[in-house]
Amino acid sequence: MKRALSILLVVALVFLSAACGGGNNAANGGTQGTDSGSSSMNNAGEDTAQNGAGQQQEKIKLRIYAQYADDDTRTPYDYAVAELAKAYPHVELELEVQAQDDGQKLKTLAATGNLPDIFQSNMDIIATFRESNNIMILDDYVDILGFKSKMHQSAMNTLYADDGHVYAFPYAGNELVLWYYNKELFEKYNVKVPETYDELKEAVRIFNANGITPLALFAKEKWPDIALFDIFATRINPRGILAMDLDGEKADQFKPAADMIVELVKEGLLPKGAINLNYDQAQSLFFEEKAAMFINGQWEIAASTEALGDKVDWMFYPAATKEDYEKFKYAFSGGGGPSGYSVNPNSEHLETAIEVAAFLSLKYAEYKYTHRGNPIVATATDKEIVVPYPPMMEKLAEVIPNITSTTAFAWGLSNTKFKAALEDAAQMLMTGAYDGDQFVQDVNFGLEQ
Amino acid sequence: MHKYLGNKRAIAVFTLPALILFTVVVFYPIVQVFYRSFFDWDGLGQATFVGFGNYEKMFFKDRVFRTALFNGFIFALMLVCIQIPLGTLLAFSLTDLAMRGKRFLRISYFVPMVLSVTVVCQLWLSIYNAEYGLLNKLFEALGIPYRQDWLTNPKTAIYAVAFVNAWHYMGYHFALVLAAVKSVPEQFFEAAKIDGAGRWRTHFRITVPLLAETYKFCLVLAITGGLNAFAQMFIMTGGGPGTATYTLTYLMYRSAFRLNEFGYGCAAAALLVLECLIVTILINRFVARERIVY
Repeated sequence: MKRALSILLVVALVFLSAACGGGNNAANGGTQGTDSGSSSMNNAGEDTAQNGAGQQQEKIKLRIYAQYADDDTRTPYDYAVAELAKAYPHVELELEVQAQDDGQKLKTLAATGNLPDIFQSNMDIIATFRESNNIMILDDYVDILGFKSKMHQSAMNTLYADDGHVYAFPYAGNELVLWYYNKELFEKYNVKVPETYDELKEAVRIFNANGITPLALFAKEKWPDIALFDIFATRINPRGILAMDLDGEKADQFKPAADMIVELVKEGLLPKGAINLNYDQAQSLFFEEKAAMFINGQWEIAASTEALGDKVDWMFYPAATKEDYEKFKYAFSGGGGPSGYSVNPNSEHLETAIEVAAFLSLKYAEYKYTHRGNPIVATATDKEIVVPYPPMMEKLAEVIPNITSTTAFAWGLSNTKFKAALEDAAQMLMTGAYDGDQFVQDVNFGLEQ
Repeated sequence: MHKYLGNKRAIAVFTLPALILFTVVVFYPIVQVFYRSFFDWDGLGQATFVGFGNYEKMFFKDRVFRTALFNGFIFALMLVCIQIPLGTLLAFSLTDLAMRGKRFLRISYFVPMVLSVTVVCQLWLSIYNAEYGLLNKLFEALGIPYRQDWLTNPKTAIYAVAFVNAWHYMGYHFALVLAAVKSVPEQFFEAAKIDGAGRWRTHFRITVPLLAETYKFCLVLAITGGLNAFAQMFIMTGGGPGTATYTLTYLMYRSAFRLNEFGYGCAAAALLVLECLIVTILINRFVARERIVY
């Protein structure tokens, strides 16, 4: 009996340890990059030597965590990878598609020691990862690799973080929030392109009366909610949301902006259920000409031109009065911040990963400039434009030199608690069941945290 | 068999693997959650011990916490009020009615249970759609002027989301009650019939009291399921509008991944564990205390 029990116990333990052993092996496999991080500089030296020799190079596989969702992110990435294959034939990239999850997956990968060699970062990721040494400081490399010399002077703010260090090779410049509109619908219903809030209200009334959704906003994502609020906020203070994020100012001064949005929402500015509308749904409303206006970044120019041709244009943001409209005409919402391709300091092939990250950023920007009709990129290229700018981009290119100020997108905010409070409060504005006082109270609460 | 049950070493040997597994997979992480809740920690860097600081902030400073706690109770109440009575009603009707297609109905009631939560949420998102949704269209067809923006209204959103959860898992409660009803000996019903009790009276006086233990289990499932709810909010509303559909689990997610306050998120998780534990203890203490043996 005792022998039988002993055998049973041994078998049970063998099964258990085998199961745990398997898990450990998997974990070890997953954290290989981190484990070998202690010897990363040695490996890096080897990599450099190999690169320098340029022959008999060992195949290097790098994991990359990058955006790859729509044409605006897929095509530049594919182009950059194709160019990489020519310049670095020994490097192979293993893509993990970036999730739209507030960096949750990336942070989990970092916490478990599975951070990819190269990853896309923004202000939030940089602020979090630099505290835990999960992001490579690239100060020297931007000079060594000649990356800095290729940067547009106007986009230098996208290279340096608030502590003066470089954590990412940027490709995007100071992107802008644009207020698109369907010219044909405006003409058809004899609506004036609004310059004041009264004109905007009138436009909302006319479009609703004719069964047209005035403004398609993908409010489920929350950043467009902030963008819409910021548009109204910049008509009060050109610093917009940055006044609260960086300048230590309270939300009180922006109460009229919040009140105006609620008033417009009550008038029927947004479609019913707007806060459950995702990008595809909102875009469809606009592209199918069921909505007269649409808010998104300037990166939407290519897609909207393709869908609507010369029916689509963008307008300067309306303001409270004609005087304010002229006064703040060139104060735009949006803007850039430190972001781009970053490198895991514990990468097994650190030097190669840094070179590749810089290369990808340059090529990504190059494609956006040459093929996507987008001049708002961080770095310059000597390549010729293949796809000419759409008329909207030409108009924007003419306006850019006159822009007096920009603010930030939601992902460019540095104070995460303020960002979360603003996201929630801005979304509440879109319900119409909220008011300026509650908005101020909730955002100030976030600022005080 | 008695020989083995009398042998304490044999009992230990047979239970040890499960015990070790439970400790590693459940108990250790729970202990870790409680431990981490005493730290100010972003999940990646160095943690700083703050004692009960996270709890103090939660109870006295965080307004979202109050919303989350309240929503958890609403959610649990909705599940209790919908899942158990409806599951019971359907189970009773299926046992009482002499009709064809009972097998089909039994499967139909259980079908939502096997659907993925994402599918269910997408289905209900379209049903709730303010402009083209089935629900509003139904009111319209009936001539009732009651069109609602179900998920956009901060006052109705939590009820709308809770209803989806209740509908999704109602089949489980139905199956539990049905199985329990079928296990009640037939002579109880026959005796009631001889005494002249009607169908409903029989159920109220005999079936329901005899199912007390099943209801206890259903109650624990419904309440802890409500307090733990996350997926529906995550998929359908993202916690919104604003923070209107936050629950403790969503607060935990927000703190850990949006605010980088992992320690605070652990405090929310620890409170959730305590909340579920207290509810389970209370239900076990006050509901169906006596074991019913037929």
